[in-house]
Amino acid sequence: MKIKSILKISSLMLFVLFSFVQTASAQKGKKKADKQTIAWRYELEAVATGVKGTYQIKTWTYSINVETAIEQAKKNAVHGIIFKGFPNNGRVQGQKPIARNASVYDENADFFKDFFKSGGGDYMKFVTLANNGQIAAGDRIKISKKEYKIGVVISVNVAELRKELESRGIIKGLSDGF
Amino acid sequence: MDFKNLKRSSMKKIILSLVVITVIITNGFSQAKKPTIMVVPSDVWCNQNGYMMEFDNQGTAVKIPNYKKAFQENADLLQVISAINGLMAERGFPLKNMESAIKTLESNSAEDAMMSSKESGMGASESPVDKLKAVAKADIIMQLSWTINTVGPKKSVTFNLQGLDSYTDKQVATATGTGDPSFTAELAVLLEEAVLSHIDNFNASLMTHFEDMFANGREVIIRIKKWDDWEEDLETEYGDDDTELSEIIEDWMMENTVQSRYNTTDATENMMLFEQVRIPMFYEKNEKQYPMDTRRFAKLLSKFLKKEPYLIVNKVTTKGLGRATIYLGGK
Repeated sequence: MKIKSILKISSLMLFVLFSFVQTASAQKGKKKADKQTIAWRYELEAVATGVKGTYQIKTWTYSINVETAIEQAKKNAVHGIIFKGFPNNGRVQGQKPIARNASVYDENADFFKDFFKSGGGDYMKFVTLANNGQIAAGDRIKISKKEYKIGVVISVNVAELRKELESRGIIKGLSDGF
Repeated sequence: MDFKNLKRSSMKKIILSLVVITVIITNGFSQAKKPTIMVVPSDVWCNQNGYMMEFDNQGTAVKIPNYKKAFQENADLLQVISAINGLMAERGFPLKNMESAIKTLESNSAEDAMMSSKESGMGASESPVDKLKAVAKADIIMQLSWTINTVGPKKSVTFNLQGLDSYTDKQVATATGTGDPSFTAELAVLLEEAVLSHIDNFNASLMTHFEDMFANGREVIIRIKKWDDWEEDLETEYGDDDTELSEIIEDWMMENTVQSRYNTTDATENMMLFEQVRIPMFYEKNEKQYPMDTRRFAKLLSKFLKKEPYLIVNKVTTKGLGRATIYLGGK
């Protein structure tokens, strides 16, 4: 009886500990991925010409687990379209960044902190995962013992994103000043 | 009751201050003159697609694009222009539609020909120059061309969009490239894809041009000419130090252009040509800011020359937002 109860308690404790470790690791993964977004450690690749007002791109994100990478890829895609742009891929046309210079981030640090907030930032309004977020076999590359480089295809509504940033006064519109 | 009155008076104060603030803002921040933009099919495209007309210019056969025919016969052209117009309007920059501009010019011309004064029966006056100027024009021309490449059963579109400043003849924006080859897609789909993939890059380079304009002034061309019957010329000396008129005009340009930026491209006793003249976007009058254009800028020089000690009667003519000529020695 005594042994049974000890076993019960210890397995319960193990379960709690395991979930705690998993949550902490996911949190750590997210935090690390967030840091890498800000440090611009991701790559964008043109996939196809999107429908009117959208870009279809592949975001290569670095993460210790796939789930974090998929979520982070959305953020990286929006971040990249605003600040980085992406080059031509074969005959698919690359695009210049929406922001005219990188200092836009520092000048509006508070805005972007909220905009890119994990789990509920406004950036979510402008992204859609293509192929239901399915990742092709060749797009999951193990680059070290603990890290993957994962390519996720994402569609970004650039027209709306640009309008949002213009209306908030973060970037200038084409007809501003006229 | 007192409380109600207090509330009313405070509301009145708020409304009044809002009105005052609005007036101050409206007067304080004037808007610069917006350039007009129009999509025009390139000469190469018109020639390749058979939309040219030929006329005899004193023995030499000259080919010019027949835009009217192109708009009437080519549905692809309309589709591409319509797509570009739509995307530009979404960016807050609606374009002038060339097809409509041509129609308006034709109807204006017919109306002018029929119009006569009720009292004297005379028609509206029109000089040969007025006639010459009656063409569809814009400050920036988006010159469009595309070619269809066929390799076996595959088709692709090479697309080229150039933003040309009508006055300085400079290319201020560009987007060009060849799309993915396709077995199945119709030409209309390939063209739409080409517009979608190039328009943002075109606008990015156009934005760079506008930013440069706001930072360093609008780039224009000013010409100085003299009438044949004027007894003086640009080498006539004025003042105690016998300064030549051309030098006086150059000094004025130096003082009135943004960061003294202008080039004296040509200068003789009869004419002067100033290129890359950077004029400010605004000027001040009665402590208010107004948008500046080449006409206004040239008028300032014109007034300067009319005043003592020069007393030169002159005439200013302009071409859109970016080119002006001052004729010295009469109106």
